[in-house]
Amino acid sequence: MTITPHGSLKKAPPLTIPPRQAARLPESDAAAGGLFEAIQRGEAFETVVHEATRGEKPVLEVSNFNLWYGEAQALHDISLVCPDGKVTALIGPSGCGKSTLLRCVNRMNDLIDSVRVSGDMTLNGESIYTAGVDVIELRKRIGMVFQKPNPFPMSIYENVVYSLRIDGERDRSVLDEVCEQSLRGAGLWDEAKDRLQSSALAMSGGQQQRLCIARAIAAEPDVLLLDEPCSALDPIATGRIEELIDELKGTYSILIVTHNMQQASRASDYTAFMYLGRLVEFGPTDEIFLQPRLKETEDYVTGRFG
Amino acid sequence: MRFAEFASRYLITIGGIGTILAVAMIFLFLVGVVVPLFRGASMDGAEEAEIERLASEPLHVAVDEYKSMAAILLRDGTVRVHRLDTGEELQRLQPFGGAGGGAGADERTLTALSVSPEGDDVAFGFSDGKLHLGRFGFTSAFPTDEETPDVARDLGPGAIAVHAGKIYVLTTEGKLRSQSFTLEIGAPIESQANAAIRLIAHTSDDATAVLAGFTDAGRIFYTKTRERTNLLTGKTTYASDDYELPLRSEDAAPAFLHLNGGGDSVFLAWANGKVVRYDVRDPSAPLVAEELDILADPAAELTVFEPMLGQATFIVGDSRGGLRAWFTARVDGAPTTDGVQLLLAHELATEGSAVTSIGASPRTRLIASGHADGGARLWHVTTNRLLATSPGPEGEPIEAIVLVAKEDGVVAATRVGLLHWAIDPRYPEASLAALFRPVWYEGFPAPTHTWQAESGTDEFEPKLGFLPLVFGTIKATFYSMLFGTPLALLAAVFTSEFLDRRLRIPIKSSIEMMASLPSVVLGFLAALVIAPFAQRIIPATLAVFVTLPFALLLGAYLWQLMPSNRAVRWAGWQRLVSIGVTLPIGVALALWVGPVMERLFFAGDMRLWLDGQIGTATGGWMLLLIPLSALLALGFGVRVLAPFVRRRSSAWTRSQCARYDLAKFLIGSLLTVAIALALSAGLDVAGFDPRGSVFDTYVQRNALIVGFVMGFAVIPIIYTLAEDALTSVPEHLRLASLGAGATPWQTAVRIIIPTAMSGLFSAVMIGLGRAVGETMIVLMATGNTPVMEWNVFNGFRTLSANIAVELPEAVQGSTHYRALFLAALVLFAMTFVLNTVAEIVRLRFRKRAYQL
Ligand SMILES: Nc1ncnc2c1ncn2[C@@H]1O[C@H](COP(=O)(O)OP(=O)(O)OP(=O)(O)O)[C@@H](O)[C@H]1O
Ligand SMILES: [Mg+2]
Repeated sequence: MTITPHGSLKKAPPLTIPPRQAARLPESDAAAGGLFEAIQRGEAFETVVHEATRGEKPVLEVSNFNLWYGEAQALHDISLVCPDGKVTALIGPSGCGKSTLLRCVNRMNDLIDSVRVSGDMTLNGESIYTAGVDVIELRKRIGMVFQKPNPFPMSIYENVVYSLRIDGERDRSVLDEVCEQSLRGAGLWDEAKDRLQSSALAMSGGQQQRLCIARAIAAEPDVLLLDEPCSALDPIATGRIEELIDELKGTYSILIVTHNMQQASRASDYTAFMYLGRLVEFGPTDEIFLQPRLKETEDYVTGRFG
Repeated sequence: MRFAEFASRYLITIGGIGTILAVAMIFLFLVGVVVPLFRGASMDGAEEAEIERLASEPLHVAVDEYKSMAAILLRDGTVRVHRLDTGEELQRLQPFGGAGGGAGADERTLTALSVSPEGDDVAFGFSDGKLHLGRFGFTSAFPTDEETPDVARDLGPGAIAVHAGKIYVLTTEGKLRSQSFTLEIGAPIESQANAAIRLIAHTSDDATAVLAGFTDAGRIFYTKTRERTNLLTGKTTYASDDYELPLRSEDAAPAFLHLNGGGDSVFLAWANGKVVRYDVRDPSAPLVAEELDILADPAAELTVFEPMLGQATFIVGDSRGGLRAWFTARVDGAPTTDGVQLLLAHELATEGSAVTSIGASPRTRLIASGHADGGARLWHVTTNRLLATSPGPEGEPIEAIVLVAKEDGVVAATRVGLLHWAIDPRYPEASLAALFRPVWYEGFPAPTHTWQAESGTDEFEPKLGFLPLVFGTIKATFYSMLFGTPLALLAAVFTSEFLDRRLRIPIKSSIEMMASLPSVVLGFLAALVIAPFAQRIIPATLAVFVTLPFALLLGAYLWQLMPSNRAVRWAGWQRLVSIGVTLPIGVALALWVGPVMERLFFAGDMRLWLDGQIGTATGGWMLLLIPLSALLALGFGVRVLAPFVRRRSSAWTRSQCARYDLAKFLIGSLLTVAIALALSAGLDVAGFDPRGSVFDTYVQRNALIVGFVMGFAVIPIIYTLAEDALTSVPEHLRLASLGAGATPWQTAVRIIIPTAMSGLFSAVMIGLGRAVGETMIVLMATGNTPVMEWNVFNGFRTLSANIAVELPEAVQGSTHYRALFLAALVLFAMTFVLNTVAEIVRLRFRKRAYQL
């Protein structure tokens, strides 16, 4: 199924769904490096999914998802379940497709002309990629925080209530309420309450990132996507964001991309390890970090590789 | 590497400083040419040459153009010619016989004299009632060797020799020039006056002359004569028609009598200030056109009443030192027989030493006044200014004064001497007040801003009011920006935010290609294709401004009716095509609506309606009020309807919403028309009419055409810069907004446009700068008439077009030439101020965007 970006005028390329490659790698090849080499060679394998993930109620389900940037395939047959109310971390070496996968969830990839996808995702059981999905509605249900803090050049207040503004909300009391709730939720209320009308750009990087989180949760999304939210921040700010993630968990289902193994192990409930566009292993965080099924995962999380 | 860095740094520095220097030099050059305009006139102290005491009152003084000699005509008919520098008497003539002379060939004496302000033309009136035309002036000649007297043979350069009443001078080219006084008296013109002529006035063109006068018998005569030259004998005779003007018996003898330039008004003035003007357009039935008192001060006595160049303006001087200029002008509802009225246009002086004589320039509006205290003053009448003043020697009042033809000197006669002032009036027509404030020009009923620097006739009064040109520039800019800016900005937003990236580049470059279209081609198209075409379909041309947006919006609402998955799938080229289709539909709609509109609101003929001849004001107001009423209708929808609908619309399906939107749009459109109609009818009933301001008589090449075509000249610039500004908004802001669930349109309006505002603003400002300076299009597509009215259907003249039209013909160094440089400077200043304001505003926008 190929979906064109909302508002774009391009002609849809023909659908090409590659045949499912079901062959499983022989056990013997799954030695250290062997699996990676196999992936590099383009050989198919099956994701190792821990049983503990199955009992959870899923909020987001990814099934057999493939993505191409023009001719180059960036995601290979990803299947993943994000449990409701939990934090799922995506880890993996640079360029393995974590951000790409994240962007697929709210269909931000539609904005890139050369992108084609196959497979599907469902949010609370509703398909994201069937024809007739209102992308705008979808994005309102999925909050996203980017790697670099990107507040709008407006006041702090206007930044937070942006999603309400675009819905046409004018009631001042509603806006004030949401602004306070969201800033409290993002742990920024105390710092920002006296300067709500000053520019968001005058805040520090860490504050800006928390503001972005406040902006994302103001719309009360079903899922929160965080793409390396701490990569531009110092350890203290990082610590605050991690605390924040801890507080938000339960209320929101969170999908977070990170390069920081400690962060993944501290903050997340589930961890997915990706390599070169493939999902290698997916399971509860403590299992992935303490008893990974695959040698490669162990190498990666202990820092011997990557 | 280091060398390259060093070299490039210096090259850039030199280039930057060079550019600044070049601009500064241009500016300084312009200033250098303009500054002399505002330097005051100069008048040196009087040089006095003593002469033998004059036996009677001098009537007239004439000076040759080299200021070497002066001829004085005395009341007793004697003419005395003197050297101007030494006062040496060159000649004493008694050309009319008369009391002083004993020749006795002729019993008559000279009793009246009329000197035309244009030069040497004179008319004489005699005691026997005869009239003669003549010339009272000087002749230059280059004598041959035989003709040269001995005294003039070995003259050094500049030295002067006198022989037999002639002055000999060696010119700088080494040729000997002789200068002599000549008096020509033409054949007598018979009049039925039969009594001594007391006052005489004349005006003449090539073949006919008009003479008027007042005789001792108390009659006013008016004579039209035609010159006849006998081809065989070469003798000139005159054939004349005589008329008589009524004079009320109780009136004493008038002190002054004058004709106007065309000879259709006769002015009589009495010493107490009473003036009677006769309407003699039909001399066989003369009428008293008006009667008034031109002296404000009852104690004053009229001492001077002299015509200026063109015999339209009369300078009135009195014994209290008052000096005023009067002329006739066509005034609405004038209580006179011929619709014109004498008006006091310039009050040069109200008090001072009594005015005794006036010398008007034969070329310009400059006059010299001589006073009872012996002083002289130099005035510029048009600009109402005293240019210079010089006291002159004590004691003797000035009795006759003359401004030398080259305007480099003033010569006056007292009873005992000749006074000579060297003057340099410089640029008397130009002063800041004259250029930028209303000036009362001859023949106008009130002071106006008028630009008309040159004309065919010599008597022309240059009118250097800059405001019509500045106004024209602003008008051209305003209408073209009104058309170009929204289009360019919308196109920029569309390409940067909505268009597929692959389409963006070709579209952008093709719009940029438009910028390379020479403006002369655009102007040519405008003048020869668009203007005549638009004239044929005025109503449709106007209707298109309403129907096109309507068609576009209607298309958008209809598009929404489509099932959503179809809409998503057709979001590509299909949508672009359907947008394209709405445009011709809009035009077709205009072609249909136009004539209907014309029939309903413009009494069936738009041009006559615009002329103000037929119909009511309602239609015009409708056109103007449609945008406002649309806003009102929109406001109603947003404020009243939206909150009401929002509460129940949450449960609606997409297609229900779309249908609701369409209905809302259609009702809104009807509401718009209804509001506009109601408001227009109200305004019409209240007596307001847009005709006379924004709408008025249709001229083929008008502001609408210029706005349209110049819009096309500014669109590429604004578009390119605006598009760049929009695309340079950081991508992460766009992603953040889209990621938050905003539509591309919301993203554009709420995030991209505000962030790019400083760039958009400078794009508009640079477009504005281009429009202000644009020359070729306005030159070709307007009539270049320097009028000051907002009427969309009339032309204008811009500063730049004016420079282009007039500079080739302006005499280098003349007032006109320098005034054109001032126009360039004003243009420069306008763009400079514009750019500075733009920069300041841009910086503030930027500050706000990044700091808030
Ligand atoms: N817009 C794009 N066009 C083409 N290729 C892209 C684009 N974005 C990403 N890719 C490619 O897709 C692959 C996955 O990129 P992605 O950004 O998802 O990696 P990542 O896992 O997020 O890496 P990092 O940890 O460095 O952020 C990379 O090979 C990258 O080159
Ligand atoms: Mg990434």
